[in-house]
Amino acid sequence: MTVTFPQRPLPWLLLLPQLLVTAIFFLWPAGQAVKQAFYQEDAFGLSSEFVGLENFSHLLHDPLYYASIGTTLFFSFAVAFVGIALALLLAVMADRVMRGQIIYKTLLIWPYAVAPALAGVLWWVMFDPSTGPIAVWLKSMGINWNHFLNGNQAMTLVVIAATWKQISYNFLFFLAGLQAIPRSLIEAAAIDGASPFKRFWTVVFPLLSPTTFFLLVVNLVYAFFDTFGIIDATTSGGPGQSTKILVYKVYDDGFIGLDLGSSSAQSVILMMIVGVMTVIQFRYIERKVQY
Amino acid sequence: MIERRPWLTLFSHCILILGIIAVALPIWVALVASTHPAEAFKQGVIPLWFGDQGWITWKKVLFSAAGNGVDVPVWLMMINSLVMALAIALGKIAISILSAYAIVFFRFPLRMLCFWIIFMTLMLPVEVRIVPTYKVVADLSLLNSYTGLALPLIASATATFLFRQCFLTIPGELVEAARIDGAGPWRFFKDILLPLSRTNIAALFVILFIYGWNQYLWPLLITTDDHYYTLVMSIKRMVSVAEGDIAWNSIMATTILAMLPPVLVVVGMQKLFVKGLVDTEK
Amino acid sequence: MAEVILNQVGKTYPNGYQAIPAIDLHIADGEFIVLVGPSGCGKSTLLRMVAGLESISSGELLINNQRMNEKEPAERDIAMVFQNYALYPHMTVFDNMAYGLRNRGASKDEIQRKVSDSARLLGLTDLLERKPKQLSGGQRQRVAMGRAMVRHPQAFLFDEPLSNLDAKLRVQMRVEIRQLQRQLGTTTLYVTHDQVEAMTLADRLVVLNKGHAEQIGSPLELYERPATTFVAEFIGSPSMNLLPVSITDQGLQLTEQVSLQADTKERGAVIWGIRPEHLQPCSESEADFALQVKAVEALGAESLIYGHTAGRSELLVVRAPGPFTPAIDQMLYLRAPQQQWHLFDINTQQRI
Repeated sequence: MTVTFPQRPLPWLLLLPQLLVTAIFFLWPAGQAVKQAFYQEDAFGLSSEFVGLENFSHLLHDPLYYASIGTTLFFSFAVAFVGIALALLLAVMADRVMRGQIIYKTLLIWPYAVAPALAGVLWWVMFDPSTGPIAVWLKSMGINWNHFLNGNQAMTLVVIAATWKQISYNFLFFLAGLQAIPRSLIEAAAIDGASPFKRFWTVVFPLLSPTTFFLLVVNLVYAFFDTFGIIDATTSGGPGQSTKILVYKVYDDGFIGLDLGSSSAQSVILMMIVGVMTVIQFRYIERKVQY
Repeated sequence: MIERRPWLTLFSHCILILGIIAVALPIWVALVASTHPAEAFKQGVIPLWFGDQGWITWKKVLFSAAGNGVDVPVWLMMINSLVMALAIALGKIAISILSAYAIVFFRFPLRMLCFWIIFMTLMLPVEVRIVPTYKVVADLSLLNSYTGLALPLIASATATFLFRQCFLTIPGELVEAARIDGAGPWRFFKDILLPLSRTNIAALFVILFIYGWNQYLWPLLITTDDHYYTLVMSIKRMVSVAEGDIAWNSIMATTILAMLPPVLVVVGMQKLFVKGLVDTEK
Repeated sequence: MAEVILNQVGKTYPNGYQAIPAIDLHIADGEFIVLVGPSGCGKSTLLRMVAGLESISSGELLINNQRMNEKEPAERDIAMVFQNYALYPHMTVFDNMAYGLRNRGASKDEIQRKVSDSARLLGLTDLLERKPKQLSGGQRQRVAMGRAMVRHPQAFLFDEPLSNLDAKLRVQMRVEIRQLQRQLGTTTLYVTHDQVEAMTLADRLVVLNKGHAEQIGSPLELYERPATTFVAEFIGSPSMNLLPVSITDQGLQLTEQVSLQADTKERGAVIWGIRPEHLQPCSESEADFALQVKAVEALGAESLIYGHTAGRSELLVVRAPGPFTPAIDQMLYLRAPQQQWHLFDINTQQRI
């Protein structure tokens, strides 16, 4: 039991700044979004009318919305999968080497600090259809790269940019997870005659599974919400709808398309998704993660 | 290692070096691109070795104007970014440490409700409530202001939880000893709690500084005046010109300058950064 | 320095649990009182009520003839030493000791003088600039005491201060605490679950059981005339042998076959108690009864012999001086002198 101070008004005073900011900039706008989701504004934004669940039913009958869900899922799982796999490979290698580990670590973690939008622009330059070195090289290999016209190529580009930025994060957690595995366990497996490769799949990887699962959730949350900058700065959701993930669609429909009702309904659905993910994350963390 | 396998070790080094090269490649290209004149890109591929225009380009973006429709120099935007990042990081830390203090060391009605209200903010990232939040800030006439850039972002459930965790590990006897020593709530906070949270604060600061510096959507929405542009969002303005007119050299110089401060923070304060990263996910 | 008086002090928690019904205790100026009892007996709660860390539900607490019930801990002018020492980890030894004085607005000179005085007394002078992390367990313990002493409070409160030390250090610190307290003459309330610590430190002991005082008295009073079976078992190591028996006109019926001569008017079922050190090995002819040896613990200075007497299942303990090692299953003949008997009521467990 924690010991407490017997005071009445003080705790409220201490909480006041946080509660005020939360109420004004979080709860009130969120409430507005929920309210807005049940209204339809006219074309000039002069009046709005209660329409019940109509915005939602529109949304759920809109093939573009389903396309966006599909895009988001593909994008998120691709980012999570590629990011986790590459980071795991690098972490296992970094855990193996004795010399230079700190240097490797330093040189691998810095992309975490790069803003998503900048990551997007950096990779755009690499893949720019007319000037990008990789695009030009691909052309010489017979692949006609133009992510402004080809949806799959645009998707590939944003996945690469998003993964590049996230690898450092995954790498750090995997490395910590690997270093937390007791040496004696690996020694025991070695004495039992398991080769390094076999040891990894039968001993190390299963012990890393909590970390892996944790990273999966974190990566999905990242791809869902924090990659807005990458999309916006490189493809703006295009070409067509091919990289329009849900978060981008909320912005695009609300701010650019000015369809507040639909945008708000999408916001409400997204809030529910974040809610579920947050709960998963917390449930899981209660069961003690190994770092 | 368990046994000597020199080939395997060599293989590990190779993979790591490959990884580092792959990770660093875009920076190399960006650096190179920033040293060539803008016309160089119109004729084809970005050269792979440095040109001789680097000095001119860097001086231009830093001190006169970033170009491509952004008419303010990078140093000004750097100050804007710095102000925003510091305000967000320090603001989050200040209000979160106070709320965590209230929640852990006091008992009062509706305590748990407050806790859950703060928790809710985790579920409401800016991206899902863009339009109404914009409206609130517009109604408070905070568009194009430092307050508008930072204030709406400083509520923090993560920081509050982190401090709560940290406070919960402080033994109750320490609080009792302080009470017997005549320390009231304020003295206890100042003399005991703050010094004991020092590393936590520093680690959190590193993470939050990066978070603040890298804000993108929010400054993009609420700044229309060049003088309030932050570095990260200015890139969007710079690339939003007709294809073919993009001056990659200026953009790349600006991009590198935009990522430099947080990268330096991560590399320079690696220990605190890692601690912050692990702490904030707990 | 002051008298501490507890008048019918009780503690009931908000959930209705009554930890302490009502305790009367009058602590004289300069007296060393030890609260002793098993865990959960309410001894720490009582101490914390005196400290002001726990509210008093009923009754009255007086320190120096002033009612303290509503006072904050800092206003009671007491000092406390905690089980885990509760040293401020980020402050030096000096700052740890000075913190209370600073909060009370003492001048720099006064702080300097008082801290260095206490430090000298405790042998901490060379450690003043260290942080708690850089100290050994015994040194931390000393700093905790220094922090308490430095203010010259009305009373010292100790909450199991030695339980985190190893056995050897515990004995050493026990002696030191006693010496310091005598030297300073400060009224002291000391909580422990260790009866040896309690016996060696106390002017008077309070044996607590389930929130009420079983007996209050000097260590030897409690040893010689325990008021209840609880005190009889708690004080002394190994514990007193306690057996339910009946007393008839033929004497004390230890078993169906064995009766001991008893010069008492008491008749009927009672609890008979005798300390292990009062059972004396002797020849068969002198013996009151015999024990079949089941286990022997030879400690050198003394031997503990465990065994059954025919027809009873209870294990009795005998404490014999010197190296004495009877063989297992051998019969050990014992005398149980009447003047060392303790008789308790079988229902109320009170001394007869």
